[in-house]
Amino acid sequence: MALSFKPIRPLLQTGTSPWSRWFSYMGLGIGVMLLLGSIQMYINIQRLVKESNIRRNGFDFISITKTISNETMTHPEKNLFTQQDIDKIKAKPFVEDVAPLLANQFRVQLSAGRILPFKTEFFLESLNNGFIDTLPPSFSWQEGQEIIPIIFSSDFYEIYNVVFAPGQDLPQISKETALGLPVLITCYGNGKEQAFIGKIVAFSDRVNSILVPETFLSWANETFAQKTKMEASRLFIKTRDANNPDLVKFFDQEKYELNKDKTMLGRNKMIIQSILGGLGILGLIVLLLALMLFSFYLQLVVARSKDNLRLLLTLGYSPAWLSKQVSKRFLPVYILIILVALTVVQLMQWAFHHFAMYDRAELSSFIHWSVLFAALLLVSLSLFTNYRLVKKMLYRLN
Amino acid sequence: MQLAIRHLLPTYFTESATQISEIWGKDLVVEKGELIKIVAPSGNGKSSLIHFLYGMRSDYNGIISYAARNMNEFSIEDIARYRRDHISIVFQDMKLFADQTVQDNLEIKRQLNPYHPAGKIKEMAERLGIGDRLSIKCGTCSYGEQQRTAIIRSLLQPFDILLLDEPFSHLDNNNSEKAMKLVLEEAGARNAAIIFVDVERKDLFPFSRLYHL
Repeated sequence: MALSFKPIRPLLQTGTSPWSRWFSYMGLGIGVMLLLGSIQMYINIQRLVKESNIRRNGFDFISITKTISNETMTHPEKNLFTQQDIDKIKAKPFVEDVAPLLANQFRVQLSAGRILPFKTEFFLESLNNGFIDTLPPSFSWQEGQEIIPIIFSSDFYEIYNVVFAPGQDLPQISKETALGLPVLITCYGNGKEQAFIGKIVAFSDRVNSILVPETFLSWANETFAQKTKMEASRLFIKTRDANNPDLVKFFDQEKYELNKDKTMLGRNKMIIQSILGGLGILGLIVLLLALMLFSFYLQLVVARSKDNLRLLLTLGYSPAWLSKQVSKRFLPVYILIILVALTVVQLMQWAFHHFAMYDRAELSSFIHWSVLFAALLLVSLSLFTNYRLVKKMLYRLN
Repeated sequence: MQLAIRHLLPTYFTESATQISEIWGKDLVVEKGELIKIVAPSGNGKSSLIHFLYGMRSDYNGIISYAARNMNEFSIEDIARYRRDHISIVFQDMKLFADQTVQDNLEIKRQLNPYHPAGKIKEMAERLGIGDRLSIKCGTCSYGEQQRTAIIRSLLQPFDILLLDEPFSHLDNNNSEKAMKLVLEEAGARNAAIIFVDVERKDLFPFSRLYHL
């Protein structure tokens, strides 16, 4: 027959008022809730941030420029990226690849020819093909070729149609029409002038520019500007996660301007994570205080029941068995507190998912398994520390 | 299983105590089934000896061994096992839980290593005349009743040695005889040794060896 704790239980004198005990329970409950809630929200944020990135092949692409300040505005060379800058960025673990956006160094004029009465000074840029999101096979150029394929920024296209065209009394153009529309590109410089036909072959959501093949731009810069060495004022970064706080921090430190939209989540993530971290620490402190309160309570119980416990040991009760039994006294309370805290966190998660996140697929209405694991760990940890504490005290009594 | 002492002397006694005592500073081996009586006037360390043998104190010089193991090398858990399975005791000051009933006091000991079924408590209590006191808190019982409770408690577990420290000091002759009879029966059933310490020689206990402390 197993040894029963039932006749032993009355020998443990609690002697404390139920109020103080309920306060301890409440403190513990709040601490556990804050901690578990923080863990769950942390997981939610991670999931949201992960799922919110529009990725291609698992990478994010962001463009950076140097911040133009009053000091550097009169020295344009200071706003260019040197090879050293590029190497430094490349060496960072969160950067997969870097490519410069090279611009024309000569005068470019764009006109719609006879179709539209429209003529403007313009710019062209080129970027490594690997960084372009919409790359048709026709995007190439060889010397002697009259037609230059162009990848046009979707944002610029939108600005033309929504703002520019109505104001200038120009027609609005659909994407399909724009793709077939030839434009006249005239390059001037180095005493030369040459006209080409530009054809939009794709629109890019990623690159806010007018892209031409690298081969054309390097030929044109050499021909019209006599420049072979090119320095970029804009870099494109390929990264696994544009919201990596380390990446955001590094570029902030280097005073580089980032595409804020793409890193906004990263910045928010940093702030939210700090808040959650703070909440988690607060929860941990409350939890520790409550656990300390419990351990004091346990010590009080042992101190008040000292004579009875000593007599039990004298009669032949094992200190290890007694420690286990005494420390198990709080098990139902711990389990109840954890269950209540889990229920509250579960309700909060459901409400957050349903009302704040409108049932977004990347989140779940149920708490994450790691929250349950943390709860289980808490119970085991409290039981273990209680057991060690009581055992130590009983050994001292013997 | 034998209990042996070698050159045992409390640390607070001088060597001169060994000259007049038949126990202090001497060797003694207690075998199973032996009935040993030790008598001494008050203040000669009777209770100290019992506490040493029970593993409650270790402020002595010399060696006490049980089953050829030095008791000073026992761990706390070893001591608990020793008291649970091999040695039982009736303390001079009874050592009962005053706020618990007689029944609870007995059950607390019985359940630790049940030698008898629960019903035996009632039977023994009735034999010693406290059958109607089982539901009374020990703190409200007379010393005589408490002493009988302590005696019954000592008989509810298995043991090789039973230590009795002035077990009948609060009992009249009639009750002492009844208690002695029960103790002898129980020890006999286990083929256990009894070490009985008292202030004077009484013929109630049929000892096989007598020592003066």
